[in-house]
Amino acid sequence: MFKNYFRAAWRNITANKFYSIINISGLAIGLATGIMLLLWVQNEFSYDKFIKDYQHIYEFSATMPTGNKTATWPGVPGPLAVYARSIPQVKSIVRINNNYGQLFSNADHSKILRGFNTAFVDSNFFSMFNYTLLEGNKKDLFPNINTVVLTQSTAKKIFGGENAMGEVIITDGNNFTVTGILQDFPQNSSMQYDALFPMAFYAKQFTANGGNGSWKTIDEDLGDYYYTTFIRLLPGANPITIAKAFTAAYKKARNGDIGGSYFNLENLADVHLISADGNNSGLRMVQIFMLVAILLLLIAAINYVNLSTARSMIRAKEVSVRKIVGADKKQLFLQFIIETFVLFCIAIIIAIGLIVLLMPLYNQISGKDLHFSLANARVWEVILISVIGTLLASGLYPALLLTSFDPIYALKGKVSSGIGAGFFRKILVVFQFAISVILIISTLVIGYQMRFVQQKSLGYNKSYVFTVQLPNEALNHINAVKNDLDAQPGILSVATSDIDDITNIENFTGDLDWQGKPANSGLLITRACVGKNFIPTMKIQFIEGGNFSGTPADSFHYILNETAVQKMGLKPPYIGQPITFHDQKGTIIGVVKDFNFKSLKNPITPFIFFTDWYQGNILYIRTTAKDARQAISSVRNEYKKYAGDIPFSYNFIDKQFAANYKSDQQAGVLFNLFAAIAIFISCLGLFGMATFTAQRKTKEIGVRKVLGASVINIIRMISMDFLKLVIIAIIIAVPVEWFFMNKWLQNFAYKTNISWWIFALAGIIAVLITIGTVSSQAIRAARANPVESLRTE
Amino acid sequence: MQNNMIKISNLEKIYRTEEVETIALNKMNMEVKEGEFVAVMGPSGCGKSTLLNILGLLDDPNGGSFLFNGEEIAHYNERQRANLRKRTIGFVFQSFNLIDELTVFENVELPLIYTGVKASERKERVEAALDKMQIMHRRNHYPQQLSGGQQQRVAVARAVVNQPKLILADEPTGNLDSSNGNEVMALLTDLNDAGTTIVMVTHSEHDAKYAHRIIRMLDGQTVTESILREQL
Repeated sequence: MFKNYFRAAWRNITANKFYSIINISGLAIGLATGIMLLLWVQNEFSYDKFIKDYQHIYEFSATMPTGNKTATWPGVPGPLAVYARSIPQVKSIVRINNNYGQLFSNADHSKILRGFNTAFVDSNFFSMFNYTLLEGNKKDLFPNINTVVLTQSTAKKIFGGENAMGEVIITDGNNFTVTGILQDFPQNSSMQYDALFPMAFYAKQFTANGGNGSWKTIDEDLGDYYYTTFIRLLPGANPITIAKAFTAAYKKARNGDIGGSYFNLENLADVHLISADGNNSGLRMVQIFMLVAILLLLIAAINYVNLSTARSMIRAKEVSVRKIVGADKKQLFLQFIIETFVLFCIAIIIAIGLIVLLMPLYNQISGKDLHFSLANARVWEVILISVIGTLLASGLYPALLLTSFDPIYALKGKVSSGIGAGFFRKILVVFQFAISVILIISTLVIGYQMRFVQQKSLGYNKSYVFTVQLPNEALNHINAVKNDLDAQPGILSVATSDIDDITNIENFTGDLDWQGKPANSGLLITRACVGKNFIPTMKIQFIEGGNFSGTPADSFHYILNETAVQKMGLKPPYIGQPITFHDQKGTIIGVVKDFNFKSLKNPITPFIFFTDWYQGNILYIRTTAKDARQAISSVRNEYKKYAGDIPFSYNFIDKQFAANYKSDQQAGVLFNLFAAIAIFISCLGLFGMATFTAQRKTKEIGVRKVLGASVINIIRMISMDFLKLVIIAIIIAVPVEWFFMNKWLQNFAYKTNISWWIFALAGIIAVLITIGTVSSQAIRAARANPVESLRTE
Repeated sequence: MQNNMIKISNLEKIYRTEEVETIALNKMNMEVKEGEFVAVMGPSGCGKSTLLNILGLLDDPNGGSFLFNGEEIAHYNERQRANLRKRTIGFVFQSFNLIDELTVFENVELPLIYTGVKASERKERVEAALDKMQIMHRRNHYPQQLSGGQQQRVAVARAVVNQPKLILADEPTGNLDSSNGNEVMALLTDLNDAGTTIVMVTHSEHDAKYAHRIIRMLDGQTVTESILREQL
C-alpha cells in the first residue's frame, strides 16, 4: 500500500512541475538556511558541555559596590583556593592566571614567535577539565615549576614536525621543559590556550618580587582579584550557599573589611553565553537567531500550505473518487502526508547540497568554524528537528483539508476551498510578509546604527594611528626611539602608553582619593599611564588646564576627564585641586573633554591619565593616508634595532575600533542575508499564488474584458488582493519592530533615532517587491485573448 | 422469493440554507431485492441523485429508515458507512470520474488497495476485471488517452473489481454515444445476470428498458413503479 502512496505522490509532483518547483525550491532554501542557523545555535549551546561533569563545575566572579551600582568581574583572590579545603561539598578548586600575547622561542632562539595565549594553572587543572592529553603523564604534568604543557598546534609552530616532549622553550628569559602535549582546545571550549604553565612558577615569582604589600604569597594575597577560578562541587551542593561560604571566609580573613563585596558562582555551561556580570546579550543573540531559523522554516512551510490548499480545489475530484471507491480518512491523510514527505525528501537533498556549498561562506560571514558532516550525529539531530518540524507545519493542514472534502459536492465541482481555508491562507500570507517587513526594518536599523557608530565623534581622532608593542630592550632607549621616529617623514607624531587598545581600555582601579570623598564612594576610575605626547597625538581636547610637561614633576600631576570631576563632585576650577592616586599625592593639571575609551555600548565613565618614568611599552604613531606605508616601514626598521628576531606587528586603531563591533556587524550581515532569503521565499510563494489566481480567474478575466475592462483594470484587480495583504502585514510589523529595535538600541549608550522614514522605506520595499512578483502573472492573464479563455471553459 | 437488499421507509432529506429549505426526499419508500436491476427516472431536481447518494452511503438522511440487508443503517456514522461502502458497493458515474494521474490499471486497482488486498491478488483481480471489460490492452494508458466508451468501461471495471453486491450507476451512458452506451448497458446487464444488484439513475427511456423495474420519482417521492420483466 505504501508503494502506491509513494507512486501517487511522485505522479502528483511530476504532473504539476511548476508548483512542485516553487514548493521544492522554497523548502530547499528555507531548510538550508534554517539548518545552517540551527547548527550555529547548536554550536553556541554546546560550549563546554563536552567537559565531564560540567554540571558540577562553577566559575567564580566577584561583585563590588561602586557608588550606587555594582561591578562584577571574573577575577577573584588567590586565597579562595585555601578556603576551599575547609568548605565541605567542594571537591576541587583550580586557579587560572591568564597571560596574553606571550612571546616564545625555542632553546637556540632559531625560532621566535609571539601572540600566544597562555595561563598559569594549578596542577589539578587536568583532573578537573578532561581536555585530551596526547602525550605526558596526566597524574604529574608539572613535575617541577619549570615545565610547560603545549597544545598540538603550538608545539608544531615552535618545533615543526619534531617531537616536542622534553624540548625547552624560553619565555620572559625563563626555560621551560615540555612535559605534555594537549590536543588543541575544541572550538566550543570557552577556554582557549596555547600553552599552560604551572601556577607554582607564578607563585614563586610573586613571592620573589616581594608579593603584594604585607601579603607575601599568592595564597595570602587578599588584595589582587587576579585569578579565574573554577570549583567542582559534590552532587547536590547548592552553589549559592557555597559562594556565601567563600564570601564569609574572605570577610573573616579581611577582618570584615570587604565593603559589601561578595563572590558568585556561575555554572560552566552558562559561562559562554552569560558573562559574569549577568549580561546575557550573547544568549539573547543565540535566541534571536534560533527564532529567525524557526521563522525561515515557517515561511517556507507557509508557501507549501498556501499552494497546496489553494490547489486543493483542483484535487477535490481525485479525493472524492478515492473516498467513493473506499478510501477512509486515515488512508487519504497518510497519502497526502507521504506526498509532502516525498517533496521534502527532494527538498532536503537539495538543501544538503546547498549547505555543503555554502558552509565555507557561512563560516566566513558568521565568524564560526562549523563543520557540516553527515557522519555527525549532532548534525542529523538538527536536520531531523528542522525537517520534522517543517514537515508537520506544512503537511498537517493541507492533508486535513483535503481529506475533509465531502465527495458528493466535490465531484460536482461545488467545492470552494471554503471561506475558512481562503481566510486562513490570507492570514498566512500576512504573517509571511510581516516577518519579511520585520527583517527589512531590522536590517535598515542595524545598518543605520552601525554607520552611526562608525561615524560618531569619539572625542579623539582614530584615523591613521597605529600601535606597536615595543620590545623590552627598546624601552631602555625610549627617548632615542621617539626622536628617531619623529624625524622620519610620514610620521606626524609619536607617543607612548601602557594601554594597547585605546578603543577598549580595561584597566581600572578604586585607588583614588580626593578631598570630600564620601566614605561609601566606591568610585572606579579607568587609568592610562602615558607619555607627554599621548594626549596631543590622539587629539584629545582639553577643556581646562593643559598637558604633562615631560619633566619629573609630571609624576605628581594628573589629568582627568569631565565625567571624573563630575562624579567626584569637584567644583571648578579643577586645576590645582589635590588628589591622591595609587598612594601618590598630586594635583590636577588638566581636564579633558570626555572621549570614548570603551565600545559605544557603554557610557563614558571616569578616566585618569598619569605618567611616571615608565611611560608604557606601546607606541602610538600618527601618520596620514598616503604616508602610512612609509611610516610603518620606518617603525619596523627602528623596531628591528632592538628586537632582534622578535617579529614586528602593528595595529591600526580604527581596525581595533571596528573589531569591537564585529559581532554586531556580523549580526548585521547575517540579518541582511536572512532578510533577503526570507523575502525571496515569501516571493516564491506569492508568485505561485498569483499564478494560481490568474489561472483560476481566467474565465472571470475573459468576461470582464469582453465587458470592457482594460489591461490595467485587470492587473489592478489581481494585484490588489495581494497588495492589501502586504499592507496589512506592514501595519502589523511596524509597531512590533518599533518595540524590538528600540530594545536592541538600548544595548548602545550612543544610538541613532529610529526615524519614520525607515519604516516608510521598508513598507515601500515590501510593496514594490509584491507588485514586482505579482504583476508578471497579472499582466499575462490580463493580456490573454478573452475569446481563448472563454472557449476553454 | 429474493430478500430485500434495500428497504427504505419514510426517508427524508432536507437541504437547508439560510433562506431556503429544499426537500429533496419527502418520506420516500422503496425496496430493491437482491439481484434486481432497478432504473430510477424522473425530471431534474426530483431527488434521484440524492436518493442514489444515500443508497451509496455517501450521504445520510435526515429521517426515516434505511435497511441494508436487513440492518438499519440510517444512523451510521461516516466511518461505518465508509466501511460498509467499500466492501459492498460499486459506483459508475456519468462523467466516469477516473483519476487523471493514475493509469487504467491503477484506477481499477484503487478499491482493492483501500480494502487491503495483497498485491499479488490485486494484480490477478484487476486483470480479470479489465479482461472482462475488454480493456486489458489499454492497462498502461492514462484516462485522457481513452475514448469515452473506453473510460466508462474502465470505470465499470473499477466498480466491479471488489465484487460488490450492489452497483449504483448515475446516468452511466449520459456522456456516451449510442453504440458505446449500448455496450456499457450490456456490461451492466451481464453483471446483473451474474447476480449483482443494480440501481441506475437515468434520463434515458432506452437504457431504463434494460432494468427489471422502473421507479419514477417526482418531488422526492415515488410516483409510479412499472415492472418490465420478472427477475429470474
